[in-house]
Formats: sequence, structure tokens, C-alpha cells
Amino acid sequence: MDVGGALPAVKAPRPDWLALARRARITRRAAQSTLLAVLLLVSIPIILPYFWMVVISLTARSGGVSTRVLWSGCAVIVPAVLIYTTIHVLTPSRRLRLVAGVVMSAIGAVLLGALVGTDLHFANYRFLWNPNIVEEIRSKATAGGQFPSVWIAFRNSLALALSQTAIILAVASLAGYYISRFAFRGREAFLQGMLVLHAFPAMTLIIPIFLILHWVGLLDTIAGVMLVLATIELPFYVFVMKGFFDGVPWDIEMSAMTDGATRRQAFWMVVLPHVRVGLIAVAVFAFIRAWEEYIFVRTMLIENKNWVMSLYLFWVSDDIMGVDYGIVAAVSVFYVLPSLLLYVFCQRYLTQMTIGGIRG
Amino acid sequence: MPDFARAQLNRQRANLALFLGPALVLLACFFIAPVVVDLALAFTNMDRTLAVTAFTLENFERMATRDSRLLASLGITAVFVLSTLAIFNVTFALLLALMTTAVPRAAGAFFRAVWLLPRMSPSVVYALLWAWVVDPNERGLLNQILVHVLGAAPVDLRNNAPMLVIILANGFIGASLGMIIFTSAIRSIPEHLFHAARADGAGSLAIVRHIIFPALRWPISYMTIHQTLSLLVSFEYILLITGGGPFYDTTVFSLYAYRRAFENGQYAYGAALSLILIVIGVVAALLMWRLMDMRRLLQPPRIEVH
Repeated sequence: MDVGGALPAVKAPRPDWLALARRARITRRAAQSTLLAVLLLVSIPIILPYFWMVVISLTARSGGVSTRVLWSGCAVIVPAVLIYTTIHVLTPSRRLRLVAGVVMSAIGAVLLGALVGTDLHFANYRFLWNPNIVEEIRSKATAGGQFPSVWIAFRNSLALALSQTAIILAVASLAGYYISRFAFRGREAFLQGMLVLHAFPAMTLIIPIFLILHWVGLLDTIAGVMLVLATIELPFYVFVMKGFFDGVPWDIEMSAMTDGATRRQAFWMVVLPHVRVGLIAVAVFAFIRAWEEYIFVRTMLIENKNWVMSLYLFWVSDDIMGVDYGIVAAVSVFYVLPSLLLYVFCQRYLTQMTIGGIRG
Repeated sequence: MPDFARAQLNRQRANLALFLGPALVLLACFFIAPVVVDLALAFTNMDRTLAVTAFTLENFERMATRDSRLLASLGITAVFVLSTLAIFNVTFALLLALMTTAVPRAAGAFFRAVWLLPRMSPSVVYALLWAWVVDPNERGLLNQILVHVLGAAPVDLRNNAPMLVIILANGFIGASLGMIIFTSAIRSIPEHLFHAARADGAGSLAIVRHIIFPALRWPISYMTIHQTLSLLVSFEYILLITGGGPFYDTTVFSLYAYRRAFENGQYAYGAALSLILIVIGVVAALLMWRLMDMRRLLQPPRIEVH
């Protein structure tokens, strides 16, 4: 600003737009980098334990865990990721980013192979083909006959998760469609009741549910747990399905019915295919939830032929954690893998679920 | 009644039974019936023999006058719920939502996926990860960092600060739900508001304060009630990580009811304790229900042909 003159500056200096733009770009980039760095920092406590689990499962030898592998692994991976991220931030060119990614992963793989390659082994995964792993480690006298093969637990878990998912899909889509499309007496009261059940924590009912299963003879059966798990999450899935049905324009149903379809045919052949995304989302979510269930199965499944994966892992860790880290970590990796794969590959379906009508 | 009207009524009933029947049956058997059973059970003397021999008010008398451990567990519950909620489930969730929406889309999605990882992993695995992190010997992840990087002495968090461990473990999971809800609320703010604010010279903080926060008022109050309730009743990770111990030091109220029933075989007493949680649950559910968008939810359907 011109302070000296009597008159304000007649001609303001033309702003240097290029410099301003450059400064804005730099500020923006700095702000974004800071945010990314902060996010990375707060995410370390999550990423590192998972990495540690994988490292233990691949390197631990009976009794000992080598911490060296963890830190040499980090020493290679962290700089590689940082360099790649920096390149990613600096250049908008897709080709350069791709090249940088390939080069950094190649360098990382070679370095990892050279540094820790000799420590890696798969012996901890021998529980997959050796059904008596706990007996082998703890001697037959202490652990004889207690542990089923991991595949029995795997099969039970799969049966539980799949059947529970099937029930939820069928029941929730029928009910969701009905409350989305039909007018009936008491609809409002029913919806309000479902909302209360949806918000209501079913965990508090574990004692009476245990007794009811005991009285009807379903205690310690996969079928009993399946019915319970399907029911306590049902209100949530009914609302999710209602949301998807609400999104289907009613004209297509109307035109199906003017063409002579009955209401049920219209539901089955016209509307249901339109909510395919919703069905997949509900199925994936329900499967993951049943796969990870612990408290209810812990309380309601007792005999070891009924163990699911969570119980198998729990008892394995309870029994041999002090003796052999490696097996426990390997079982964990084996158990967590299906959930994670489903989650990673079906994420775009899961993000489409909305819990109907949160104001905002 | 004319025939066609009767036929239509019959069809309406058949549709009701077909579409809503399965859900009603399941909910009646495993949701409504347990509430009734719990209510009745609380007034009995059922023990580990699972037989009821008398109806009594003893459980409530014991709760009110004779159970000193109950009081302690209420204190533990208050500390646990309030700190987890205040630090992680609301505040940190909000920070995560703000940060991941401010960085490029792909990076934001990546970090949200990372934070959802604990929620998607089986609880037993997640608890084991914590066991390996706070392992008191020198192999524990935390101790490796403390000893080798910071040069400090190894610590035994599980025995010396068990509350800290369960707050952190629950918080790392709890933050993700709020993060998702808040993120979608931020995303639904019209883009032009941000541009207008920028053009008016608002800085980032002013945008957060005057544009994002007003839009988050309802989601935040909803999440606060929802998460209070779920922290109040969930004891899965506590049971897995500390087992409620050492001794009863991390036994929150819901875990206390569970341990009374399934460890000590006092089913009736456990049911009486759960009854309190059930009442709290119903009240909170009704409260949340006020916060939902009822008008949209109860909107009448548009075709009524059966």
C-alpha cells in the first residue's frame, strides 16, 4: 500500500496471479500432507498389531518369537510406503504413480527376502493337516481328546454363518417388503415396535435366551444358536431391506400388475431383482457377524464337537498361549481371513446400507 | 359379506401371514419371550440346578442392601462408559470423519477401511491382538517399543492399568461407527455451501464450526445415546481381554450380571440384574426413536393392492 503519498495509490500493482496460485497450491499440499501424516500416525496402533500377528504366525518357532523380523519388516515397508505416497502426492500422472508403485514393491520384496527370508516358515500352520496339534504340544495326558480337528470347527462355523444368513435374507426381505409397500391395520404401531427392538440391546437377554433354549432342547445345538443370532439382529436387517425396497420406484410394480402379475409374483420376479445390491449387502454383513460371534456361542455351545472357530481359537489360545505363540497366531490368521476377504471385496456393497432415516 | 370382499380379506390375511409371519414368529420366540422370562425369573430363586422352587423378592433385597460388589461395578461402569464415549466414540470418531473427508477421496476411504478393520475382525482375534500388544514380558508389542525405541522400563498394563486397556480396546472399535455415520452426514452437506463459505473468506476451522457442526447436531446426539447404550450392555471384549479381572476390577455391570449367572450359577440374581439393563435399554430405545426421522419412516405405502 502506498503510505507516503497524499492520495491513495492511483494504480494498484497488478497482483501476481501465478505466484498466488503457487502459494495456494503449496499451502494446500502442506495441509493435506499434514492431515495424511496425522491419520497415518493414529492408524499405526491398528495396523501394527495385525502385522505383528502375521509375523508371529510366519516366524515363531516353538516357544520363541523373533522380534527382529517385525522391525526389519517395518524398516523396509514403512520407507517404501512413504516414498510411494510422496510420489503419489507430488505427481498427478497416473503412469508415474504406477511405475513408482511397481518399483517400490519390487525393491521392498527383494529387501524383505534378503533380510528375513530365512526366518519365514509355514510350520505353524500345521494345525491344518494335523488334527491333534494341542496333544502334540502339551502331551496326550493333559490335552488328550479335548480338541477336535480345526476343520470340524470350520465346518460348524460355516454352517452357522450360512444358515443364519439364509434365514435373515428370507425373513428380512419378506418383512421389509411388506412394511415398505402394504398398508395394514397397526402398521404404525408395528414399525414403532420394530424401531424399539432395533435399538434395544439383545445382549441383556442372554440369560433368559439360554434358559429358553434349555427348555425347548436346543441348547448346545448349532440350530438353536442360529435361530437366536438371526432373531436378535433381525429388526436391523428389516429396516435395511425396507430402505432398499423404498428406493424401488413403484411404477415398475404397478406395470407388472397391470400386465396381470399378482402381488406375490411382482415381488418375486420384478422387485426382488431390483434390490440385488441390498440382498448382497445384507448377506455379507450377516455372514461376517455370525462368523465372528463369540458370547452367544460361548454360552450356548458346550460340547467340543459343536465348537465353532471362535471357540476353537479361544481354547487353543487358552491352552497353549504360554507355550507356543506361533500356532495361536496361525489359527487367528486362518480364522480372520474369510471375514477380511469378504470385507475387502464387498466393501462397495456394504457402504450402500443406510440405517433408515437418521436425521441430518 | 359379499364374496369378493371376503376373498379380498382372505388374501390380505394370507399376505400378512406370508410376508410378516416368519419375522413375527422369530421375534416372539427369541426377543419378546426372553423379556417376559427375564421379568418372571427375577422374582424366583433359580440356581445352577435350573429349578424354580419359590417366588421371592430376595434378589431385589440383595441388590439394594447386601451386594457391595454391585456398587463397585456401577462405579467401574460409569468410568468405562463415560471415558470411552467421551474420548473415542464421539470425539475421536468426529476427528476421524473430519480428517478423512478433508484428504483425497481414495486416501480417506483407505483410512476409514483401516479403522473398520477391528470391527470386521472376529472378537476373539481382536482380543488376542490386544493380549500380544500389552503382553507384560519383553515380547509384548508395547514393551518392545517402550524398551527399544524410548528406552523406558517395560510395563504390565493388564495388571496395573486394566481399565485403560479395556477403554482403549473398546474405543478403537467404537470410533468406527461414529466415523461412518458422521462421514455420511458431512458428505450430504451441499457442496456449494463450502464454496460460498470459502468465497466469503472462511478458513478451515470456521467452515468446521459454522457449516459442518450444525449439520452434525442430530447425528451426534443420536450416536451419543446409541453408543452409551451399547457400551453399557456390551462386555464381549472385556470378558475376552481381562475376564473382568484382575479380581473384579474391570467387571462392568453387564459383565457382573453375566458372571453371576454363568460363573456362580445364580441365574435368578443375574436375571434381576439384567432387568435394570432392560429397563435402561427400553428407555434409551424410546429416546432414540424420538431422534429418528419418523415422518419419512412411517410414510404410508403407495400401492394397496393385495
